[in-house]
Amino acid sequence: MSFRKASVLPGFGLTFGFTTFFLSAIVLLPLAALVASAGSMHWSDFVRVVSSPRALGSYRLSFGASLLAATINVIFGFIIAWTLVRYEFPGRKIIDALIDMPFALPTAVSGIALTTVFSQNGWIGRFLEPLGVKVAYTWIGVTLALTLISMPFAVRAVQPALQEVQRDLEEAAETLGARRVYVLWRIILPTVLPALLTGFTLAFARAVGEYGSVIFIAGNLPMKTEITPLLIVIHLEEFDYQGAAALGVVMLAISFVILLAINLLQAWGRRRHVQAAH
Amino acid sequence: MSITLDQVTKHYAGAPVVNDVSLDIGDGEFFVLLGPSGSGKSTLLRAIAGLSGVDHGRISLHGRDVTHVAARKRGVGLVFQNYALFRHMTVADNIEFALRVRHMRARARRERRQELLRLVALEGMDDRLPAQLSGGQQQRVAVARALAHKPEVLLLDEPFGALDAKIREELRRTIRQVQRELGITTVLVTHDQEEAFAMADRIGIMNQGRLFEVGAPHELYARPATRFVATFLGAANLFLARRTPDGIQVGGKTMGAAERAPGAPEHEVVAVVRPEEVELAPVREALGSRYLGNGVVDEVTFTGALERLRVRLDDTVRAPLLATGDVDGSTALQVTRTRHAHRGFEVRQGQGVAVGLRRVHVLPTPLSSFTACAPSAVRADALTHQPLLAELVARMKTRVAVRIEPALGREAEPCEVQGEFFGTTVIAAEGDNALRAEWLLRRGVKDLLLLPEHAAPPQRVLIHWMGDAARSATLAVSASVLRHVPAEAVYVGIFPGHSDSERHSHGMRELLDARSEAQAAHGLEMRTELHFGDVAQELARRLAEAPAQMLIVGITEVQHFAGGFRALLDSGRWPVLIVQRGAV
Repeated sequence: MSFRKASVLPGFGLTFGFTTFFLSAIVLLPLAALVASAGSMHWSDFVRVVSSPRALGSYRLSFGASLLAATINVIFGFIIAWTLVRYEFPGRKIIDALIDMPFALPTAVSGIALTTVFSQNGWIGRFLEPLGVKVAYTWIGVTLALTLISMPFAVRAVQPALQEVQRDLEEAAETLGARRVYVLWRIILPTVLPALLTGFTLAFARAVGEYGSVIFIAGNLPMKTEITPLLIVIHLEEFDYQGAAALGVVMLAISFVILLAINLLQAWGRRRHVQAAH
Repeated sequence: MSITLDQVTKHYAGAPVVNDVSLDIGDGEFFVLLGPSGSGKSTLLRAIAGLSGVDHGRISLHGRDVTHVAARKRGVGLVFQNYALFRHMTVADNIEFALRVRHMRARARRERRQELLRLVALEGMDDRLPAQLSGGQQQRVAVARALAHKPEVLLLDEPFGALDAKIREELRRTIRQVQRELGITTVLVTHDQEEAFAMADRIGIMNQGRLFEVGAPHELYARPATRFVATFLGAANLFLARRTPDGIQVGGKTMGAAERAPGAPEHEVVAVVRPEEVELAPVREALGSRYLGNGVVDEVTFTGALERLRVRLDDTVRAPLLATGDVDGSTALQVTRTRHAHRGFEVRQGQGVAVGLRRVHVLPTPLSSFTACAPSAVRADALTHQPLLAELVARMKTRVAVRIEPALGREAEPCEVQGEFFGTTVIAAEGDNALRAEWLLRRGVKDLLLLPEHAAPPQRVLIHWMGDAARSATLAVSASVLRHVPAEAVYVGIFPGHSDSERHSHGMRELLDARSEAQAAHGLEMRTELHFGDVAQELARRLAEAPAQMLIVGITEVQHFAGGFRALLDSGRWPVLIVQRGAV
């Protein structure tokens, strides 16, 4: 902390105060209300709601599909970012702009579009059907929707990092006798690893909270294709606010643990990286 | 030979970045490629390393043709300006990278690493990360890493660029020491002439993709062959001087003995005078060197060991001083003096001084200055603004004079011209070109440039000569032109009649002779082509094939030339430079 350093922004006191207030009002207070609301339940009721088979199934789907979607996005996001950063081709700017489309689209629209394409007689769905692959109304569809809406996060996180990887590093490795795969594995990936983790975190966080696009393609069969946010909405529709809050608290806890773990991993990596700037 | 480059050419977006470079670098030699930014020196280094391909030519390392061999199999070590260390690896891992790739055992790796760290004076730094080292230390690691796999050639791409002066000095010494100890052939790329002087066994100077001159540092400094090298390697004053039977005349005063065989006809040359070869004295009698004239001190700058002055010569001194490449384009004489000389004779701004020259070096270039020649002042003046001429003048750091010949091209009037023609005479292409060219060539013009109104700098220059007497001069002029225009040079050999195998092989021999003479005597790299048929027709056909071409043609007598080339000259489509050298 450096209080004395002069800066363009007004003094530390003011900015720190604002930060605290803002975080409290927008983030902490509502979360506290959520926890308080769930806390007003009896402990046994709480356990019953959050550990019902339907809830457990929804956790598995929500977190499993989100982790899977984030993984897919990190892999393909890396390839997309690589293409955009490293190659000059006609239409590059357009593709670059298209990456952000899932940001701009109302998520419900994405869900409807995906359902149209992947339902049994959709453009792609009808070819997958004979192969025995069902996408719409299965966990695959859920993963697909989550992948789509969280894709920009992965690409945008990795892109600047890749831009920073100097061509020189690869060339140096090449003159030292390394093959391209070796260069990718030993030089490029370690360098962009922090960015990949950030991309993973962002994509995962986005996917866990997603609701709009999933409900169209999921089919919402309890225990099978029902995600936790949907379950929460169902509780709300039955005016079971406490139940909804209980599920919310569980989601909050799991998300927090996962994100914290990733952040710790990242911090550990960074420490290893710049073991001390003296 | 350790590194052999043979006509290496690399284009980027149509323009040559490296243009026909041929070079031999010996075993254990420390060779410096010196040039301004954008001269193609880094591209050439990358081509040697295998990081960028070449469009034409061959590269051999220790006799092995590696033109199409991948970088990782070339066995070179490369050091970058920004170190390019792997930041997520320790010093040890960085240095061992090449050894790991080669699956060397851990113990052997460790031994080699320790040997290298000792070599670059970084013992005990094994476990540091690059971020924990200073710039100089990082570059030492980079050098050690590049040497780990015992490469046969070490390439250094501006390795000191990012370091401050003191560290730079120290690292220079280390690298030179390591290089001597290992006896490894080394190529260093830099734009810093001081660095080149400090490190090189030999220097190669590049500009606009071409390798201009190669030689030992002191040789290049004392006896440059081209304007570019003269002004790029240290400061230089360029004079338009005359080579007379008595010696070199600057401003009408003989400055030195003739460097070539006496008896050659008087002609214009470009003379180089280094600032430290200029002497200043209160009066003419006090000069220890040959007197040039009087001048006024314009500016005095003290730079520690040396004093730099600018002296404006009196108008009475008739020594045309060419622009010395300064930003302000001023033509004041540059002078540097030691503390010693300063103590002997102190000068202040505005003071009048007598100027003497201790040593004058004459450039062997045949192109000295240009003279725009036309029947009227208006047309001559318009010609001086022709884009190609303006470009040539700017790049050659020379000047254009104007000469009015009212009777130009009118053969009927038996008119005598006043005064001799010096330098290259330029006429505009506007109709009766052949007639005007003949008129001038008959009146003693040796080099004649015919310029179409909108001709731009050419991308390809075709070279041809008629008669062996013109051969050497044509090659010299071509070499001079091509040093200032980034174009491809093509010698077009044309033989009368049709091709048959015997005449074909005879023709090929001649082409090879021409090419090796151009290379050996004039440092000009050129391609060759063989054609059969009528000379002027074949040349016109070849010129018409692509845009932006220029012709340089050597002739020994006017009559035959003017007849055969009438159509080509009168079409006025291409710039044509006629070089007339006869058995006069």
